[in-house]
Amino acid sequence: MELKICHMYPDVLNLYGDRGNVKCLQQRLRWRGIDSTVERLPIGAQARLGDFDLVFIGGGQDFEQQVLLEDLHRGKDREIRAAIEDGIPFLTICGGYQMLGHYYETYDGQRCDFIGALDLYTVGSKQRMIGNYKFQCGPESGGSLVVGFENHSGKTRLGSGVQPLGQVLAGFGNNGEDGTEGARYRNVFGTYSHGPLLPKNPALCDFILLTALQRKYGAAELSPLDDTAELAAHDEMAERI
Amino acid sequence: MKIRAFFAILLCRLLRLLSRLLHRGGTAMPGRWALKVCPDLLEILAKDLKILAVTGTNGKTTSARMIEEAFSRQGLSYVANRSGANLASGLVTELVMNASLTGKARKEYAILECDEAAARTVFGRIKPRVIVVTNLFRDQLDRYGEVTHTLENIRAGIQGAPEALLCLNADCSLTASLALDLPNPVRWFGVEQGAVPSRPLPEISDATHCIRCKTAYEYDYVSYGHLGGFRCPKCGYKRHRADVAVTAVPEQRLDGSSIVLELEGQKHLVEVNLPAMYNIYNAAGAVAAVTAMGLPMQAAIDALGSFHCGFGRMEQFQLGKAGTKMMLVKNPAGCNQVIEFLQNVKEDFVLAVCLNDRDADGKDISWIWDADFEGLEALSGRLKQVVVSGDRAQDMRVRIKYAGIPDEKIRVERDYTRLVDWAAEQTVPVFLMPTYTAMLELRQTVVHKVGGREFWEN
Repeated sequence: MELKICHMYPDVLNLYGDRGNVKCLQQRLRWRGIDSTVERLPIGAQARLGDFDLVFIGGGQDFEQQVLLEDLHRGKDREIRAAIEDGIPFLTICGGYQMLGHYYETYDGQRCDFIGALDLYTVGSKQRMIGNYKFQCGPESGGSLVVGFENHSGKTRLGSGVQPLGQVLAGFGNNGEDGTEGARYRNVFGTYSHGPLLPKNPALCDFILLTALQRKYGAAELSPLDDTAELAAHDEMAERI
Repeated sequence: MKIRAFFAILLCRLLRLLSRLLHRGGTAMPGRWALKVCPDLLEILAKDLKILAVTGTNGKTTSARMIEEAFSRQGLSYVANRSGANLASGLVTELVMNASLTGKARKEYAILECDEAAARTVFGRIKPRVIVVTNLFRDQLDRYGEVTHTLENIRAGIQGAPEALLCLNADCSLTASLALDLPNPVRWFGVEQGAVPSRPLPEISDATHCIRCKTAYEYDYVSYGHLGGFRCPKCGYKRHRADVAVTAVPEQRLDGSSIVLELEGQKHLVEVNLPAMYNIYNAAGAVAAVTAMGLPMQAAIDALGSFHCGFGRMEQFQLGKAGTKMMLVKNPAGCNQVIEFLQNVKEDFVLAVCLNDRDADGKDISWIWDADFEGLEALSGRLKQVVVSGDRAQDMRVRIKYAGIPDEKIRVERDYTRLVDWAAEQTVPVFLMPTYTAMLELRQTVVHKVGGREFWEN
C-alpha cells in the first residue's frame, strides 16, 4: 500500500509547526510498513490534485495572502473543489481551512472571495482567539478528544452544507460563540488547531489515514502503534486546560 | 520635574537593593516602578550618554557582549544591560544604577540590547547614535505576531531616531528593507558569496516573497535560514554590498570560527570565540557597530577573539567528565543553528532539551515543529541519549520521536536537580538546549552545582 500526499503551499502556508502534520502522517505510515510520498506544491506549481490520496494545507501569515489568492484564482480553486467532490481527503488548518470557505470579511467590512468548496464563511474580529484548547470530535470523525493550540481573529460560521469537526470543550473553536470547532464535508477535515494537530492526537491522525487508505484500496486496516509518548503529551494538555 | 526624577531614582535604587537582599535579580521591576513615578525618566537618564542599541530577533545578547568587550578593552566607561532585561523598565533600572541621584550619567557610553517590540517606543526616547539590527526571524508568533509586524515595530522605533547610524544585516531581506524608506545612514554587514558553501533554502523560510512587491525572491546563495544573496526579479530590490563583509571562513570549530573580514579594502583574519554560523553574523554586526562608534578595528578584532558570552549562549561548564555546553534556543532559526552545530560533534554525546511555555518563552510551542530536529536522526549513532525536560517535556518527547529518534532513547526528567546530576555522571560531552525561562532555572541549578556567576552578575 502507498499513499501519495500533497502538501499545498508549503512555501507560504507554514506557520505554527503545521508541517508537523505531514511528518506525523508519514511516520505513522512508515512505522506500519506503508509507503508514502509527499509532493510539495508551492505557489505557481502545477499538479493534478486528482492524482493524490491526501491533501494537506496549513495556515499562513497575512503578508502572503494576496499572492496566495492570485494563485488560487488561476485555476487551483476549481481543482480543489473537484478533488473535494471526488472524495479525496483534505486536512486543512486555520488559514488553509478558512480558504476553502466562501469568503473572508475583514473587521472593517472588506470582503475577500475564497474558493467556496465548503459551505462556511469567516468574519474578522478585533478579538484574537489564542491559546491551548480542546474539542470532542463527532462520531463521523472518529469521536476522539483533540487538544491543540488556536491563534486566529477570524470567526468562522458554518452553513447547513457542512458538519462541525467537533464540539469545543475549552477555548474558542470556530467563533467562540456556538461551541463548534472546524468543519467536516465529504472527506475534508478543516480545523483551527495548530500545535501541530496530529502528533498529539494519534487517534485523529489514524482516522484520517484510514479514510485515505479505504478510499484508495476499498478495505484497509491500521495495525496499532505504541502511542505512549503521544498519549502522555495529549493527556497532560487535556488535563491542564 | 527634576524632583520627580529624584524620587523615581531613589525608589528604583531602594527596590534594587531590596531585590538583592532577597537574592533576586531586580533587573526590571525597580525600573518599572520608577517609570510610574517619572514617565520621562528614560529620556533624562539617556540624555548625556553615547548610546549604541542592539535589536533584532536573534543574537542581541551575544552581539552586545562582543561590542561591550571592545569598549572594555579600549578602557572606555560604559553601562550595559547585561542581565537581558531589555524592555524600557530594564533599561531604566540599569541606567539608574549608573547615574547620580539627579539622573546624571556616571558613564560615557551605553550598550543597550533592546527588545524588538519595545524598540518602537524606546529608540525615540534614548536617541541612540548607532542602532544594530541583527536579523529578523519568526519568533514567538503568539506574542509578537507575524515577523513583518516586528519589522514595523523596529521601523517605527528608528523613525524616532533619524540621526542614528544603522548597522543592518545585508543578507536579511527583512532587515535590509529598513533602508528603503528611512533617511538614516546605513553601514551594512554580511557574508559574501563563496565564504561558506551555499545551501538550499530551508523548507521553511521566513521571507520567501519580496517585501516590496511580493514576488518570489531569487537567491545567488544562502548562508542560513533566509539569509543570503537575495534579489527580487520584478522590482529589483536586492542585497546591498556589505561594508563589513565576511569573505571567507577558513575554519569552523566546536569552540569558535576563523573568519576573514573585509573592511574598507583591508582584509583581517579574525578569531570568533563562539562557534556556529549565526555567531559569524553576530561578529560581523559587532565589528560594524564598534567601528561605527569610532573605535579602532583592532579593538573589535581583539574583542571577538577573547570575549565570553556566558548566560547560556554556547556557555561551557565543568559539569560531567567531558564538560557541558548550554545552548539557548528560542525560535526555529536559532534552534536550527544549534542542531547544525551538533552535526560537527564527532564523538559520542548526550543531549537534553528543556522546553517551557511561559510568557517569556511564548505560550505556543508549535515552533519546535518548524525547527529541523530531523537533523538529529543522522547523528543517532553518536547521540547516545536524549533527555527531555521543562513544562512541555512530553511535547518535546513527541517531537524527538517523530524526528526519528526511538522513544527508548528518550528519557523524561522534569526535575532540574536530577537532570544536572545526570549530566554530572556523563563521561561523554553533554549538550543542554533550554528555552529562555528553562535556561534561567537550569543555569542556576548548574551554577549551584559547579560554581559560576548568577545571571545578573554575569
